[in-house]
Amino acid sequence: MIVPGAMSLTDRFLELLGLDPSTAGPLLVFGVSILAAGLVGSFVLLNTAFAGPYAKRKITASFTDRISVNRIGPAGIGTIVVDSVRLLSKELIIPEDADRPAYDLAPIVLAGSALLAFAVIPMGSGIQLADPEIGLAYVFAIASIASLGLLMAGYASNNKYSFLGGLRAVAQNIAYEIPLVLTGASVVIFAGTLQLGNVTTPDTIVGAQQATLFTIGSISIPSWFGFINPFAFALFMAANLAEVGRNPFDIPEAPTEIVAGYQTEYSSVYFVLFYLGEFIHIFLGGAIIATLFLGGPAGPVLPGIVWFTIKIWGVFLLTQWARSAVPRVRIDQLIQIGWKGMLVLSLANLLLTAVIVGVIA
Amino acid sequence: MSLQERTPSEPDVGVTEDGLDYDELEALLEGRVLDREEHVNAEGFVIRPDEVEDVLSTLKEEAGFDHCSAVTAQEYDDRFESIYHLKKYDDPTQELSVVVPTSKDEPVSQSAAGVYDTADWHEREAYDLVGINYEDHPDLRRILLPETWQGHPLSERYNQTQPQVVPLREHANPLEEDHRGSGDDSDTMFVNIGPHHPATHGVLHVKTVLDGEQIVDLDPDIGYLHRSEEQMCQQGTYRHQIMPYPDRWDYSPGGLLNEWAYARAAEDLADIDVPEYAQVLRTMSAELTRIAAHMLAVGTFGLDLYGDFTVIFMYAVRDREVVQNLLEDLTGQRLMFNYFRLGGVAWDLPEPRDEYLEKIRDFLDELPDRLEEYHNLISGNEIFQMRAVDTGILQPETAKSYGATGPVARGSGVDYDLRRDDPYGYYDELDWDVVTEDGCDNYARLLVRMQEVEESAKIIKQCVDLLEDWPEDDREIQSNVPRTLRPDPDKEIYRAVEGAKGELGIYIRSDGTDKPARFKIRSPCFSNLQTLPVMSEGEYIPDMVASLGSLDIVLGEVDR
Repeated sequence: MIVPGAMSLTDRFLELLGLDPSTAGPLLVFGVSILAAGLVGSFVLLNTAFAGPYAKRKITASFTDRISVNRIGPAGIGTIVVDSVRLLSKELIIPEDADRPAYDLAPIVLAGSALLAFAVIPMGSGIQLADPEIGLAYVFAIASIASLGLLMAGYASNNKYSFLGGLRAVAQNIAYEIPLVLTGASVVIFAGTLQLGNVTTPDTIVGAQQATLFTIGSISIPSWFGFINPFAFALFMAANLAEVGRNPFDIPEAPTEIVAGYQTEYSSVYFVLFYLGEFIHIFLGGAIIATLFLGGPAGPVLPGIVWFTIKIWGVFLLTQWARSAVPRVRIDQLIQIGWKGMLVLSLANLLLTAVIVGVIA
Repeated sequence: MSLQERTPSEPDVGVTEDGLDYDELEALLEGRVLDREEHVNAEGFVIRPDEVEDVLSTLKEEAGFDHCSAVTAQEYDDRFESIYHLKKYDDPTQELSVVVPTSKDEPVSQSAAGVYDTADWHEREAYDLVGINYEDHPDLRRILLPETWQGHPLSERYNQTQPQVVPLREHANPLEEDHRGSGDDSDTMFVNIGPHHPATHGVLHVKTVLDGEQIVDLDPDIGYLHRSEEQMCQQGTYRHQIMPYPDRWDYSPGGLLNEWAYARAAEDLADIDVPEYAQVLRTMSAELTRIAAHMLAVGTFGLDLYGDFTVIFMYAVRDREVVQNLLEDLTGQRLMFNYFRLGGVAWDLPEPRDEYLEKIRDFLDELPDRLEEYHNLISGNEIFQMRAVDTGILQPETAKSYGATGPVARGSGVDYDLRRDDPYGYYDELDWDVVTEDGCDNYARLLVRMQEVEESAKIIKQCVDLLEDWPEDDREIQSNVPRTLRPDPDKEIYRAVEGAKGELGIYIRSDGTDKPARFKIRSPCFSNLQTLPVMSEGEYIPDMVASLGSLDIVLGEVDR
């Protein structure tokens, strides 16, 4: 079933400029698209900039009974600026025997791939760059490119720790991507489409979750997929932790084992890109979870974009919590959990979803 | 295995009701004893350098000396000498020193590494610093000093003015072929873990050969923090100048426990009494130190298993901070306490006493809740158990052979604690238990430390009660000790206390001056670290890191 996509952000911009999207010239559409993409990218980067040097520290500090940054600006918020300047102005050290240009491309691939996936995510309040029919497949495909970046970084650094980290990253991503995609597929069975859509398009993944599941008194509970199949939700959350490499699955970096894994040899801007890429990935994980299981940007009273932000930050908080409090599993245990546990569970979940869908239909 | 149920076949030659019968032991060795020396702690049997293995294995198999505490090497005007300090794990008060003199021109002695695994490293150290060659030693390399070092610093012929060149070899090609594993088609990789590595707890360098993620071969390379502590102590006077050094061995902080090791050895050497009140103060402050040290051990072990930014480390450090503040109030220092004196302690409890004791009580009252939190957070966590249970296995017999002591030995079910077995201070008057676990793995070692914190708290509580009720006119903190202490010449002593990491022993030989002629430190970490290859070979890197964490080494004490 093909449904017309919701109005894209580019079209909205064109309308704001007083132009008819159907008649605008290709050059103009291209220009406005760049503008729209810049807006979406900036939104993601803004979240990341707030999370990386500041929120993450504050969150970890409150878990560990500390105060953390509090000197620059109110509640230490100025640290964001100071840290950015500090990180960017550091010397860029490139190992003598590094394999260029793979070494230089790796951080860009990592950060870029995560950012690209946001193109189809409905962020509410009409912010969605495009809504292709293959939306979900696109998201998973693009996000997986990150593994390539990790392998490039690990191999090109010409460092044994990086090499081990790169190998670990690939082994882990393959082991967890399959359960992740299979669990995502259960949502596709439920919605009957790969298209992400948004709240106004009922025959899409997000749209399908807007129906009322049941009502308690005057409160109607929407049929968010996380409510319909909590098992799939839990499974996806766990696989997502592995996908973004946070405890208990932070094996590719594992500072106490292999120093910093694939990013051992990276410094200055390249390191910032890696750091950025990781955080964008965490937010992308949050965005996918919000879209697939939590009704996308839907929510009462507040505008969609606010709800969307709340949801992705909720997932971010969870990853930080796990990082603070959960030990790291060993690499062989991780692979075992992935292939013997998660994969079987995600297949079982597919069956379960088919049954649920069958009963509802 | 209970200590009481000895079967008749067990080796116990020479064991009598009131200590060891050295004549019987000499008879056991069938004329291989050339001479007998009188050391303060035990008798010394002088034997020929080519009969070391023979004599030691007889003593180990038939007389039950299963613990080789340390090997002390030293040079006299006319000879070199290695002393093997033997003990029994069942009863460490049964001691025997085996003295092996060698000629000055050709200092060659048979190695004991075939009998006691622990002799491997101890003899390497003796070779490195003093220059005695051990025949048939499996791997006689330098251990504390760089391989290119010229001369042996503790020997008389050492030229102190000679410049030493320590080259920094170019880093090896990371993609170099390496086939050190077993099998013809093994494809292995050599990795330097450390000296700059987040999990080595200091500057330890572990030369590792990996097959994939598994460890094929492992060789700890120590000495990066070697500060000639023994030499420095030999240049200080007994009375005051040595006491600050022990604080710098195990700085986790094991400071007061280390000071006690020196205090005990020197006091026994010079027949100095310590007033009872001072002993209670020592016991209490030493146990506070032990809690602080174990907290750090638990926290850093968590760090090794969790990665950075982890709660358990911060919680442990937060609670350790309370202990540090208590110790600061008592000693005036947070790390380098310098609180013990020969014959007592530096000063009494801080005034107002009641307030201080109340502070300690508050800490002790909160402790059970804290430990409960730790147990919820780490030892009760399934993922944690997945990582720690059945990894880093150290069998009891292996632990004994490597001279492992402290929580490492007790985690392998070896019931050995000098506080109980060779009582000193005020320990035998108090009610507490020695903690052992039979798991032999990383988890058992962690549990031992956490339970020892509870036992230490018990000891401190009793000390606080004692101190509170101590009559005011009887608070003697220092006995009469001559201003310049000159123990009688040619007295030798090896005395140990239960440090935070295990048996911390000091060997002192006096020569009639106010400075020791030989000062040897038996570091528990040094012996414990030797077990790392046994625990880790064949395991994964993360397990090696966990094992290293559970050994709880402090490089300041390993390298001295």
